[in-house]
Amino acid sequence: MAELTLDGVTKVFTEDDGNEIVAVDDVSVDIEDGEFLVLVGPSGCGKSTTLRMVAGLETVTDGEISLAGRRINESPPAERDIAMVFQSYALYPHMTVAQNMSFGLEESTELDDDEISELVDDTAAMMGIEELVDRKPADLSGGQQQRVALGRAIVRDPEAFLMDEPLSNLDAKLRATMRTELQRLQEDLGVTTIYVTHDQTEAMTMGDRIAILDDGVLQQVGTPLECYHTPNNRFVAGFIGDPSMNFFEMEVDGERLVSDRFTYPLTADQADAVGEARGVTLGIRPEDIGIDPDGNADSPHEFDMHVDVVEPRGDENTIHLTFEAGLDEPETFTATVSGLRQLQAGDSVVATFPPEAIHLFDADTEQALHNRSLDIPEATEQIV
Amino acid sequence: MSTETGRVGEWSLFGHSLRRVVLYSILVGMGVFYLIPIETGIMTSIINPASYTGSFPYLPPLEPLVPGTGTLSLEPWQGAIDGLGQGLVNSVILVVPATIFSGLLGSMAAFGLTTISWRGQIGIYILFVAGIFIPYQAVLVPLTQFWYNVVPLQAVFAPLATLPFVQEYHWKLVALIITHTAYGLPICTLLFRAHYKKLSDEMVEAAQLDGASVSTIYRRIILPLSIPMFAVVFIYQFTQIWNDLLFALTIVQFGDAAVVTQDLVGIGVSQSGTNFPLRMAAALLAALPTLLVYIFFGDKFAKGVAA
Amino acid sequence: MRNPLTVLKRRLSEHREVRTDGGTTSAGSILDRDSVRSAPFWLPPFLLIGLFIYGAIAWNIVLSLTDFQGLGTPDYSALDFENYVVAFFGGTPSWSELTVSPIWNSAWNTVVLMVSFSVVCLALGLVLAILVDQEIRFENTFRTIYLLPMSLSFVVTAKFWLYMYNVETGLVNLFLGAVGVGPIEIVQNPDLKLAAVAFALIWQFSGYAMIVYLAGLRAIPTSHFEAARVDGASTVRMYWRVIIPQLRTATVSALVVLTVFSLKAFDFLFSMYGGYQPGPSADILATRMVREAYSNGNWAYGSAIAVILFIMALAIVTPYIYSQYKRGEL
Repeated sequence: MAELTLDGVTKVFTEDDGNEIVAVDDVSVDIEDGEFLVLVGPSGCGKSTTLRMVAGLETVTDGEISLAGRRINESPPAERDIAMVFQSYALYPHMTVAQNMSFGLEESTELDDDEISELVDDTAAMMGIEELVDRKPADLSGGQQQRVALGRAIVRDPEAFLMDEPLSNLDAKLRATMRTELQRLQEDLGVTTIYVTHDQTEAMTMGDRIAILDDGVLQQVGTPLECYHTPNNRFVAGFIGDPSMNFFEMEVDGERLVSDRFTYPLTADQADAVGEARGVTLGIRPEDIGIDPDGNADSPHEFDMHVDVVEPRGDENTIHLTFEAGLDEPETFTATVSGLRQLQAGDSVVATFPPEAIHLFDADTEQALHNRSLDIPEATEQIV
Repeated sequence: MSTETGRVGEWSLFGHSLRRVVLYSILVGMGVFYLIPIETGIMTSIINPASYTGSFPYLPPLEPLVPGTGTLSLEPWQGAIDGLGQGLVNSVILVVPATIFSGLLGSMAAFGLTTISWRGQIGIYILFVAGIFIPYQAVLVPLTQFWYNVVPLQAVFAPLATLPFVQEYHWKLVALIITHTAYGLPICTLLFRAHYKKLSDEMVEAAQLDGASVSTIYRRIILPLSIPMFAVVFIYQFTQIWNDLLFALTIVQFGDAAVVTQDLVGIGVSQSGTNFPLRMAAALLAALPTLLVYIFFGDKFAKGVAA
Repeated sequence: MRNPLTVLKRRLSEHREVRTDGGTTSAGSILDRDSVRSAPFWLPPFLLIGLFIYGAIAWNIVLSLTDFQGLGTPDYSALDFENYVVAFFGGTPSWSELTVSPIWNSAWNTVVLMVSFSVVCLALGLVLAILVDQEIRFENTFRTIYLLPMSLSFVVTAKFWLYMYNVETGLVNLFLGAVGVGPIEIVQNPDLKLAAVAFALIWQFSGYAMIVYLAGLRAIPTSHFEAARVDGASTVRMYWRVIIPQLRTATVSALVVLTVFSLKAFDFLFSMYGGYQPGPSADILATRMVREAYSNGNWAYGSAIAVILFIMALAIVTPYIYSQYKRGEL
């Protein structure tokens, strides 16, 4: 077990026609010994390439990767002491489960057959697959194959685990179970882990910290709640959280934000944070929007809305709203309300954008100017 | 696609749709077209040459029950075995190693050019593929020069002739084995490459991370997964090499090392005319190994030719 | 009591340290090293085909420029294009006292055989594939029978058809007699021999075209057939408008393979005519080349004909391989 460090890691692919594509751009992140880091981003953001560079399956164009203080850029995969779990599981189809698990030990250690089979048996027992050791992968269910793939990684007792979307081929229910189990397993083993996923729910629930990547560039590294509440920029704010944060493009007019739909007064702190910026993006999470079907838009933070669509999810409803003022050119945004509340498409409601819940981003640089304040206990609790 | 049961509005004949009746008639008719030359050959091959009249070549010899069909005799087959015996032995000596070598080397080449991916391999691979389509005429004269005038294979082989089962003329078969191995490589590589492209990249990467070297990946992962493809390749190569005449004609030329296709060309022709029963028996005998392979492993053969 | 697993794990890490510390890591990209590490696998086969295929082709081109004839060894000191001039225009070359005819006759026969054989094979193969694809019973049996001749040697096929075509006892003439025609001399009839050769080859290889088309048909999603049905297309129109256009890839690959088969038809003609002399009306470049070299001893002239044959094959195959490469199917 060891710490894993990425320092300015860059990957440039050269296409056949000579075009250069920067897949990973100057990514630096320190992963502590035993830490579970989730690398998350949309598809094509470079997260898998980053993982493959750590594994030694791709060369590193620039920068340094080190494991336990040792530079591993040039080491072949076999010498890196890393185990990887693949999206397709990549089990050897002609070998039994036991043979799949012992292959790595046979190839990279000098343990004798008895020692290997003891390690394999113990690991299989730990993974709850001891009944399956004599079966071939084709005879296993997806969930069982997943366990074998994990077992194959664990049995080698590596310095680090790399996991490339390991749960994405499972059905939703099994995925939720395996999420918890994987987390527990990683805590027990205490092995440094990088976990790649495109699913922000997995990122939020599993990681000690998450690293968000977009277009090859690292956007933010932090605990899930840091990324949720204090996103560095508009991309992180929009990517983390489901349904996504709502964004409104606004002009700064003194201490107010103005658009052709509505006007929003800023607090003194917020106005300070905006400073000289001319254009600002106002962000607010759907769950922070208050909905009152009967009230009147009395305060400057309250607006008359028209309910466009109601998507029931059982525990809560996602409602799509448009401003009454702009019905001819509707721009919808979303709010979540309790599943018990009765709302219909076509209703008129009043929506509140609480000043403490808004985020402000510079419209040009997309960097965060102001994040929501967290000193309101019930708001934080509700989200946690 | 139509289904087994007639569709609404179709004409019917005795409960079957007319459409199906026509369909099956054509299919059976075509089956007769493909089988009749072989059937005629089989029937003729068991006629006593002395009683052969040629009036009903497609009927079995049923004299005296049916006049003009000839009497049953295995004499033609005996003659075929006598006439082709040496050629059959030589063909076996040629085909077995040439098939195995071209299959194995083809699998190795496909592995090095597919499973392990590197820049520029496609250029090398194109040279392999193009080799499939080369008309052999384009290399015959150099091959003859090479085996007869450049490589002293005959001289190397002469001392070995004292060993049991080794004859001096076997050097020609060795030359033929090497030649067939080289010319079988392109198609074998193509077949294996198509198979290896379907194998998961992640599986090979997993093996790399497990500490397997390139040769271990081949030996412990790829080779065991190639067994079905080896069956296809071996069957295809066996048929191709067994059936070849041109290379044998230009490299063996004549003499004791002649293979079965060479011997078959001249059999059954004499001053007194053509002995059709003998000729048909010989043709069937020469075709028997490939026919048996085809009948027992037809699906694999079809897979090979369709690739 | 010590946990045996812990002990094993400690041993595991000890072993590994030995490994990692001992492992030397060289600079340079892994990509570069992969070509080298895989070289033991692809290089020996590559050298074999490099020497026997491409080396031989190059040597053949050089040989075609010499005057190599008869016994002895070729003389590489004086190279010229005389053999090509003779091939195209005929005449008496410097290495011979006899007049040598140009290749036009056999080149024409080659093209006629190639085109008629390939086109009929494809058409027959397509029809058979469509018929076999009608969810018939005994599909495997029919397929096996249709492909059976493909497993035979050219030499064997020639023997069977020599018998079929025989004037007195051949089944073809018995059939013709039954409908009131003939008997006709076929094998040695200058007007019929090329057609007879093509017909026997079609018998042997149309099953191949069927297999390729059948694979193509099976690759078309059932929904396309159903959609055409729903649109009210008749069976004929459905195949003509919807299905056959999707078989282009199958057609091209079958066509290329069949054309190359027809260029290799030497074995068949040699066996049918019992030697190097099929006669002018069935002579193709493949037989002409072998006859010039191995029967007449005109090695260099044979090489020149081989080069021409090679260029013909190249003209057919290069666009095919290029398009396969462009579509990433290699």
